Amino acid sequence: MSLVVTNLSKHYGEVAVFSQVSLSVAPGEFVAIVGESGVGKSTLLNCMAGLDSWDSGAITLDGVDLGSLNEDQKARLRREKTGFVFQAFHVLAHLSVAQNVALPLMLLHRHDPARVQAMLEAVGLTGLGERLPQQLSGGQLQRVAIARALVHRPTLLLADEPTGNLDPTTAEKVMDALIRQTREHEASLVLVTHSQAASARADRQLRLTADGLVRLN
Amino acid sequence: MLALLRTFSWQELRHHPWRNAAAVLAVMLGVALALSVHLINASALDEFSTAVRAVNGQPDLELRNPRGSFDEAVFARVASLAQVEVASPVLELSTYAVGNSAQRVPLRVVGVDALVVARVAPALMPLLAAGADRLALFSPDTVFLNAGARARLTTDSLQLQSAQQLKAVTVAGTVGAGGAPLAVMDLGAAQELFGRQGQLTRIDLRLRSHADRADVVRTLQSAPDWPADVAVTEPGDAAARINNLSRAYRVNLTVMALIALFTGAFLVFSVLSLSVAKRAQQFALLGVLGLPGRDRLALVLWESLLLGLVGSAAGVALGTALAALALRLLGGDLGGGYFAGVSPNLQWSAWVALGYGTLGVLAALVGGFWPARQAQRLAPAQALKGLGDTQGGRRKHWISIFLIAGGILLTGAPPLFGIPLAAYLSVGLLLVGGIGALPWLIGLLLDRLAPLTARHTLALLAVERARRQRETAAVAVSGVVASLSLAVALTVMVASFRESVTQWLDRMLPADLYVRSAGNLGASDTVYFTPEFVRAAANVVGVQRVQSQRQVSLLLDPRQPPVALIARALDDPARSLPLLDEPLSVPAGQVGIYVSEAMVDLHGARLGAVYIPLSASFSPLAFVEHQQSAIFFVAGVWRDYVRQSGAIAIDQRDFERLTGDRRANDLALWLTEPQAPERVQQALRDLADSDAPGAGQLLGFGTSGEIRATSLRIFDRSFAVTYWLQGVAIGIGLFGVAASFSAQVLSRRKEFGLLAHLGLTRRQILAVVAFEGAAWTSLGAIAGLGLGLAVSVVLVHVVNPQSFHWTMDMSLPWQRLLALCLAVIAAGTLTAWLAGRGAAGKDAVLAVKEDW
Repeated sequence: MSLVVTNLSKHYGEVAVFSQVSLSVAPGEFVAIVGESGVGKSTLLNCMAGLDSWDSGAITLDGVDLGSLNEDQKARLRREKTGFVFQAFHVLAHLSVAQNVALPLMLLHRHDPARVQAMLEAVGLTGLGERLPQQLSGGQLQRVAIARALVHRPTLLLADEPTGNLDPTTAEKVMDALIRQTREHEASLVLVTHSQAASARADRQLRLTADGLVRLN
Repeated sequence: MLALLRTFSWQELRHHPWRNAAAVLAVMLGVALALSVHLINASALDEFSTAVRAVNGQPDLELRNPRGSFDEAVFARVASLAQVEVASPVLELSTYAVGNSAQRVPLRVVGVDALVVARVAPALMPLLAAGADRLALFSPDTVFLNAGARARLTTDSLQLQSAQQLKAVTVAGTVGAGGAPLAVMDLGAAQELFGRQGQLTRIDLRLRSHADRADVVRTLQSAPDWPADVAVTEPGDAAARINNLSRAYRVNLTVMALIALFTGAFLVFSVLSLSVAKRAQQFALLGVLGLPGRDRLALVLWESLLLGLVGSAAGVALGTALAALALRLLGGDLGGGYFAGVSPNLQWSAWVALGYGTLGVLAALVGGFWPARQAQRLAPAQALKGLGDTQGGRRKHWISIFLIAGGILLTGAPPLFGIPLAAYLSVGLLLVGGIGALPWLIGLLLDRLAPLTARHTLALLAVERARRQRETAAVAVSGVVASLSLAVALTVMVASFRESVTQWLDRMLPADLYVRSAGNLGASDTVYFTPEFVRAAANVVGVQRVQSQRQVSLLLDPRQPPVALIARALDDPARSLPLLDEPLSVPAGQVGIYVSEAMVDLHGARLGAVYIPLSASFSPLAFVEHQQSAIFFVAGVWRDYVRQSGAIAIDQRDFERLTGDRRANDLALWLTEPQAPERVQQALRDLADSDAPGAGQLLGFGTSGEIRATSLRIFDRSFAVTYWLQGVAIGIGLFGVAASFSAQVLSRRKEFGLLAHLGLTRRQILAVVAFEGAAWTSLGAIAGLGLGLAVSVVLVHVVNPQSFHWTMDMSLPWQRLLALCLAVIAAGTLTAWLAGRGAAGKDAVLAVKEDW
């Protein structure tokens, strides 16, 4: 399994965010998590990436228990094993498109311009590598984010509302690119979304509630 | 607009009170320093002028000669003229008084005719103490003291110095004249006491109501036997002379104080720039809601106006308090020596306060203008998406080049009214142009650096940000550039001056021991060594050689202060004077003189030319039987860091041949045992005592080492204020950087959140921020150093010669400058790191969820 979440619970003070969440994601599997606003979808995603803490339970990523790692070790694991796609794109405005895509490789001390170009071609941004982010459209920016998320061949791709800022047509194209690239890279994809259209394309659809995850299909 | 100020702007102020308080503080300090310097100088000048007018009175005409002394026979001629209502003869001289404390107090003695003086100069009218004999007004050995003298000499029995002797006098009352210590006594008694029988220094004339001044002048001066050296003029204003002489010094002090205001403007600039950058989305929202660009500009300008108003009001209050305190503690002299001994009251003027307050408000408005333009120009759609304007709208750099070129051209302009206004403007243009060119400089350096960082993530992140956002980087470091350039310029200027003064002292102090009779030029005729004393000193055991020096005060131009004529042995002028160039050979039949640089600037003396004004003024110096005419040839120009109003050096043999005056004011002694001067000092004291009991204690001794050390200590004390100003400027600059980085890292929480998602550890994120801090402040340091060196060239080679009429050699204290730059870089890096600590915390992770 790429990702195993076991009985995960988290509280903010007395208020439970979620409890007893369990989930296993197989390599290459696409899991969509839906749920009401404020139910803790993004928090769960952050826990999976080792960016947030939890009160009880366990998470293993590629066989490594995240709970046993310190912050630096979690950061290093995240660097190698995960990729992120956000609703608001989050590309660095002062880096070129190619530099943005190359960032994860650079953090792993890998210099591979060909791989960067290949990823840009794969997401349909051929020839735009030298442009600055503000010269691109929203859809193009999200494709930059997808290329960046996969350029270093992670095991797990975590996507948080990746189409939330896009019109339906562009959203569909972005989802196409995201799913296609994830499958080509044999990465697992955990998608948090409100979009029924996006979640409908997942291998598994889960709803996050205060009591845990409920399978929808 | 008011509603927006009360809501939108007030929230910003409420959330960042310390940052805005720093901007207010910077404006306040600038206004306070400038206003206090102005008030202190204005109060001192006013007090000095009042005192001078009191002593000089208000005559219609006065008779003087450049030497200051002439035959009293002239008095009988002018007093008998039909047009003259009152003629008041005066003998005015400087000496020292010894009271209870046995310490010598500099004292001006004015001999007057008590029967007429009140009608021309009422403040000099002696007022008898209660119970004193009425005839004391005319008694020998009786003086009347002003308040300044009474404060320093708290006894009724004084001793006044004449040559090397102390003569006892009795205090019989007071005079109303203010200012420095002054004693009035009967004219005949003064002539007797100081051996100046038959001499006057001035006659004041009050004319009858219908008399024509020009006619009286013509009548007197056209008489065939009228002494050529006695000029009849309308009263020259000594206050105007001191005003002219001290003007450049006062303006320099004020300009230095305004440096704080200049850096204050940059702090307002930094604070508001980053406030606007941070509120870009809010401004964008206002734009979307219908607030036009012009109103956004006005809103930011109103914010800067408010900061300026609060800062200026506080600055006026603080400046007034500082001035009152300084006048109380230090008197009116801020180190230039022009107003020493003056104890003025604060002369506060609402207009002056309003002027400096307005300067503070203007500084804040100038500082706020660029950020206001940014708020006006921002593209709402881009700003709302958080993408901003990465290129920052590249500005046209020809404006900066134009300003810098203008600054360079202005260095060639002459001073205006004795003030290097063009040079100050040049410094301003260089600074503004240089800072305006920062984005270009940043681009130039980082475009070359960028390829080297392509494979180093942290360096790439830092460098690319500064490179792509060079306008923002320029804003962030502009405060550092401004403050560092001023600090570098002041450091280089002070170091150059100190080094030149040190070399000058080495040249001027060749002997082992120096003996001085009088500390000021005005007393050189009253307090001196006789030729017999000089001869005897040469025979003292332990003395290898003696060289005497005579100093005489010469009024060459009534509009200028007197110059010093220095007669000393000049066998080899190139060795004994700090000449600027090799001395010229003196044409046969002419007398060689060596003039200080001030003589060239103020009195038109030219190297290699005959100096006619000295010939006209020289004959009165001569004792009658020695009177000879001479043609004086300027054979060299030398540096003189003591006599700002000018000095002329002449070979002692020429001086004595022409005047017969063989008196001396200073002695330079070469000793057989230079390490042990004490025995020679005691022997000279004994020698003086053998001539006149008590005279030994009047001798002032100093070894060359002591004089050198004392001079440099005074120098360092005089320039201590520049170190304070440097500290203030650097502090303000670093605060600007801190404000910049704090605001920037706070506004980059999402970016840090993203980096955390990508797998950067917190330490690595902090390293990026610190690296950026280092990169940006390094750029600021490079620019500040370069700009500071350019400004220092203007200060050393233009401002100083135009202000003080002396030149100096450029001296670069590289170690100190590098230490200054490294300290700024270290402080900037640390500031950035500290600012990053808060922003790169756990909540940064959550920031990626915030809507853009």
